[in-house]
Amino acid sequence: MAKDPHSPQNNRPRGETLVWLSSAGLALGILMVVGLLSLIFVEGITVFWPKEVVQLTLKEDSAHKIGDSNTLAGTIVKRQQNIRRHVEEWQIFTGNKDAYGNMFKYIDADDVVEMTVPESIVVAERMEYGNSIFYPVAVVTGEDHRVEAGDDAFWSVFEQLLAEARDRRDRINDLERKDIGKINRKVNDLTIQMRHLDRLESEGEEPQTGRKAKIQEQLDSLQQRFKVLAAQARDLREAQHQDTLEYRLATGQVRSQPVGDLVDAYRPNRMDWLDKVGYFFKHLWAFLSERPREANTEGGIFPAIFGTFVMTVLMSAAVMPFGVVAAIYLREYARQGHFVRAVRIAVNNLAGVPSIVYGVFGLGFFVYFVGGTIDQLFFPDRLPTATFGTGGILWASLTLAIMTVPVVVVATEEALAAVPRGAREASLACGASKWQTIQRVVLPASAPGILTGLILAMARGAGEVAPLMIVGVVKLAPSLPIDGVFPYVHLERKFMHLGFHIYDLGFQSPDSEAARPMVFATTFLLILLVVVLNLGAILIRNHLRKKYATGSF
Amino acid sequence: MTRFIFVGGLGVIIAIFGIFFFILAEIIPLFRGASVESIGDLPSGQRGSILIGVDEWAEYPFLLDEEGHLSFHDLHGSRDVRREDVPLPEKATITSVSYLQELQLLALGLSNGQYLTGKVLYKPVFAADGSRTIDVDLEWDPAEQLGPEGSELIGIDVFVSDQRKTVAAIADGESDGHLIVRSLVRKRNPFGVSSFKLDNEEDLTDQLEGYPVEVLVGANAESLVVRCEQGSVQYFRWTGSKWDLRQRFYPFGRNSDSIASMNFIKGEVSLAFSSLSGDQVVFSLYRFPDSGERLYGQTKTFEPFPGGADIFARSMRNKAFFIANSERISLRYSTTADIRWEKEVHYPLRHLVVNGKFDRILALDDNGDLHLYSLSDPHPEAGFRAFFARIWYEGQDSPQFIWQSSGGSSDDFEPKLSLIPLIVGSLKGTFYALLFALPIALLAAIYTSQFLSPELKRVIKPGIEIMASLPSVVLGFLAALWLAPLIEDRIPSVILICIGVPATAVLFGYLWNLLPIRFRILIPKGWEFIVFLPVMIIVCYLGWHLGPLFEQVAFRLQDPSTGQTVADFRLWWESFAGSQFQQRNSLVVGFMMGFAVIPIIYTIADDALSAVPKALTSASLALGASRWQTTARIVLPSAAAGIFSAFMIGLGRAVGETMIVVMATGNTPIMDMDIFSGMRTLSANIAVELPEAPQDGTLYRTLFLGAFVLFVLTFTVNTVAEVLRHRLRERYKVVG
Repeated sequence: MAKDPHSPQNNRPRGETLVWLSSAGLALGILMVVGLLSLIFVEGITVFWPKEVVQLTLKEDSAHKIGDSNTLAGTIVKRQQNIRRHVEEWQIFTGNKDAYGNMFKYIDADDVVEMTVPESIVVAERMEYGNSIFYPVAVVTGEDHRVEAGDDAFWSVFEQLLAEARDRRDRINDLERKDIGKINRKVNDLTIQMRHLDRLESEGEEPQTGRKAKIQEQLDSLQQRFKVLAAQARDLREAQHQDTLEYRLATGQVRSQPVGDLVDAYRPNRMDWLDKVGYFFKHLWAFLSERPREANTEGGIFPAIFGTFVMTVLMSAAVMPFGVVAAIYLREYARQGHFVRAVRIAVNNLAGVPSIVYGVFGLGFFVYFVGGTIDQLFFPDRLPTATFGTGGILWASLTLAIMTVPVVVVATEEALAAVPRGAREASLACGASKWQTIQRVVLPASAPGILTGLILAMARGAGEVAPLMIVGVVKLAPSLPIDGVFPYVHLERKFMHLGFHIYDLGFQSPDSEAARPMVFATTFLLILLVVVLNLGAILIRNHLRKKYATGSF
Repeated sequence: MTRFIFVGGLGVIIAIFGIFFFILAEIIPLFRGASVESIGDLPSGQRGSILIGVDEWAEYPFLLDEEGHLSFHDLHGSRDVRREDVPLPEKATITSVSYLQELQLLALGLSNGQYLTGKVLYKPVFAADGSRTIDVDLEWDPAEQLGPEGSELIGIDVFVSDQRKTVAAIADGESDGHLIVRSLVRKRNPFGVSSFKLDNEEDLTDQLEGYPVEVLVGANAESLVVRCEQGSVQYFRWTGSKWDLRQRFYPFGRNSDSIASMNFIKGEVSLAFSSLSGDQVVFSLYRFPDSGERLYGQTKTFEPFPGGADIFARSMRNKAFFIANSERISLRYSTTADIRWEKEVHYPLRHLVVNGKFDRILALDDNGDLHLYSLSDPHPEAGFRAFFARIWYEGQDSPQFIWQSSGGSSDDFEPKLSLIPLIVGSLKGTFYALLFALPIALLAAIYTSQFLSPELKRVIKPGIEIMASLPSVVLGFLAALWLAPLIEDRIPSVILICIGVPATAVLFGYLWNLLPIRFRILIPKGWEFIVFLPVMIIVCYLGWHLGPLFEQVAFRLQDPSTGQTVADFRLWWESFAGSQFQQRNSLVVGFMMGFAVIPIIYTIADDALSAVPKALTSASLALGASRWQTTARIVLPSAAAGIFSAFMIGLGRAVGETMIVVMATGNTPIMDMDIFSGMRTLSANIAVELPEAPQDGTLYRTLFLGAFVLFVLTFTVNTVAEVLRHRLRERYKVVG
């Protein structure tokens, strides 16, 4: 084959280099997305997996000893090169914040003389001061009954005590939150009634001594009941301290702690793969269903999930009717002229207005103006404590609803426009009125598109944090917006939100290293939620495009 | 049903635009001036008053005459005039007076060279039915001799701080005038406070140029300002053992007898001077750059006050003050050099005072009549100049743009509300975001629409759109807590990667093209990008690990502290650019905002490029153009409007981005464009400060103004982009 420069096989099209350059742009974009999602996935998932605990013996003259001891135990969290000092550093999670002052420690890899994987080492989750890593010495139940760690029965006894402590903790929780909480609420209501009567008196009405006396009676009896319950709770709390665990830290220090302060304990180096999977799911479930502890750095994120869910539902309930109605009006009823085009352009652009502007509007209008007026009219006796005149889940949902209305309007309009004209004309030709056509032909046909808009709005609402920071999200909400207390749905309560939880954990935590696993886990959950919603919307949209691509009458 | 839809639809549209009007309504009060209304007049029956004072609520003012007769007049209720006498020594009259309204302290200079201080302590008294009357207690200290026998004290001022009390007086004897300063100290211990003991007494007359006319004691009782007849002003400072003459200056030029008044504005750092011909200026203490000393310099010039002003009253709440003469009153604000309100009065005005709550003005005329006005000026520190012009703030050495809305522990803090640093911050963030995002997004869009194989496009396009759904709080958190610490010490690696990636792309393409066709068909058209997936990872890996080596070679400098040569990018940058290296900087923010902006630009550019009719591309290819030539010369120019609109919408998104900026910058409102320093944007500023801003206060409304600016900016940018897109769509409806 001669090297004929004009042969088509040797033809080199011009500009191919630049085609490759542009493909590099796409490759970078894909790498960015995939890289980010994998990072979050890996960092998030590994939080729940029980990690191996090693015991390290350091050199005698090491600068990283804890106190006098050159032994320490923990999990190796990170290995990195310190390029300043040209050494490899390891970050060890040693736990035991109450003993060491800090839960994490950096050591130089060169200082490690010996590394073992001890079978008997225990990792325990605690109510305070984070996790603890130790060798158990003995467990002392009741007065004097002592079970040494060497005994065969030790571990089962220990686990049973832990289970008992958990039960007691649940009972204390129920007592305090439900029963005592109910009493507190009744006392609150009665006090407000009393204030109401006082206010009427001062405004000149007749004194209602009879009713006031009755209220006072009720208050007294509630006070008695409170004392009884409080005593019960106190007894239970004392019972939590009756069993003690003695343990030895890797540094040699011997400490003791009431079993009631421990949440859970496991021996990571003894677990086989099946055990680890079991522990993984248990930990994951606890994360999803429990309340947070230790300034949000431990425990679960259930209130945040619930708050996000309730807010998204309220927001969708607010946005759907208005968005769909506005889109129907724009597309079907309004005379298509310059004005409607201008309105449509404006509505499209409102989707691009920064979310913080909506937050500002929500604060000024909903919280202060509408909320303040509601307080003046309906809750004057609770003032100066604001009921609706401060941030809450209702105002947050309405603010986000206004923010996502443009998204729903645009998506609905596109869906309505995609319904072929032929279908509409056929319906009208059969004698249906305009509204009947819309109701029975157009809307059902465009339902998937409207659904897409709703899903996009929900995804946006779940992810936006900036406006919520101003209108009602808090770091730790004392109660959920929906609970068993009449009127069951409390629209004035502040709530927790997944996105804000991430911000709070990352930036308002007392110990940001300790919060790191929680942040990644929460981020993973949020990303999962948002990506699933968006993928769903995109798939529906693609499916729709295919469906209507060929349909033309 | 139709009517319901009509009403509902219209209602939603109105609600959406209601946002604009609501925010506008919240910011309009910022640009109003003060409103002053006359409430009433009250003849006091006392002529010849030398001073008027008032309580915080403006209900029980007092008048003082030179015989020492005090009269309290009840403006609210119906109590009779209460008369008290100042315990003056025999045959002495009051020759000068100074009233410190914040401390409720009165200092009287007497005709026999003595002075007397006392307190006019107002207190509210609550009756059983909840109504309030103001009552007053008077406390007088014994008169002390300050000037030589036979002199009169024609000028006096006092200041009492926690530990010092400084009394300064001008004693006018037969032939000369003396400036005498007496300092007293007291000690405070956990058990209480001792009484004032004499610390120092000095006569400073020989350090003055000219005959002393007026003296003022400054902040902390440790500074003095003296005005002399020939227009000179002397500034003294207490060094711990004596008074040191720091500065002599002439506000209106030498040898002019023209200073009509000299008064401190709240905070005791700025002096307001007015001249007899009507000029009005403010001098403030600041550190002069060349000498490094803290001296008075002229910082503000006000509009002239016709006729010159000799009457002064100042607000105890902010930097506002009144100047007046017998015919005219003017309310002015020092920070912005703004006239809030000015009016002629039709009575011979003699004295003026404003109450602590800054809502009442009392004017006393020569006939002894009291005129009461209501004052409403909720936002004096706002205004167009305050937000957008350079202001010379107290303590600064030049006019600057500063945003610092609150600070310090004292009430003397001057709010600095310039929006310019925030706007510059927003533009800086946008610039770096687009710098990073625009090339990637455009190249990816060109490739996706023109060259990518259709089966892959179905998978790839949603993949990039997933990027758009990432919540910005996640991006911000990753930027601040993962990326910033990671690259803090590895900037040379980042530089290598930023150079390596495009270089590799071009090099690879070029080399690939040189290969014979039997290699080139191995990668089918539309699948080129797959090759780059592993290649880019390798380039990044190499760049990351070669970074330290690069640093050793390229970024050497002399370490100033040890004198050795070190290779450290951060130190090198500080000596190269002169600015500090921040961990959370624009590079990090730009990269992460790229995640937010790339998918938007990509989607719209891809739509625009795909909308170019296939007939055009087919015709070009049929005529023998290569695929790149077709793209570059046919498709890109046709879709230029769409690409521009994609850029604009991306710009709008970047400007409004809040969470990434809140978390990943230092939130410092600085005005440089360095890549390794932080910024504070309009949106982040609102998110951070609004929860703490008191409702309807100046800061609250100013943040609404920031939101308004953001709204208008993004709305305009998006509308322009939409109009362009619409035009493009229209253009291609006809073709094909």
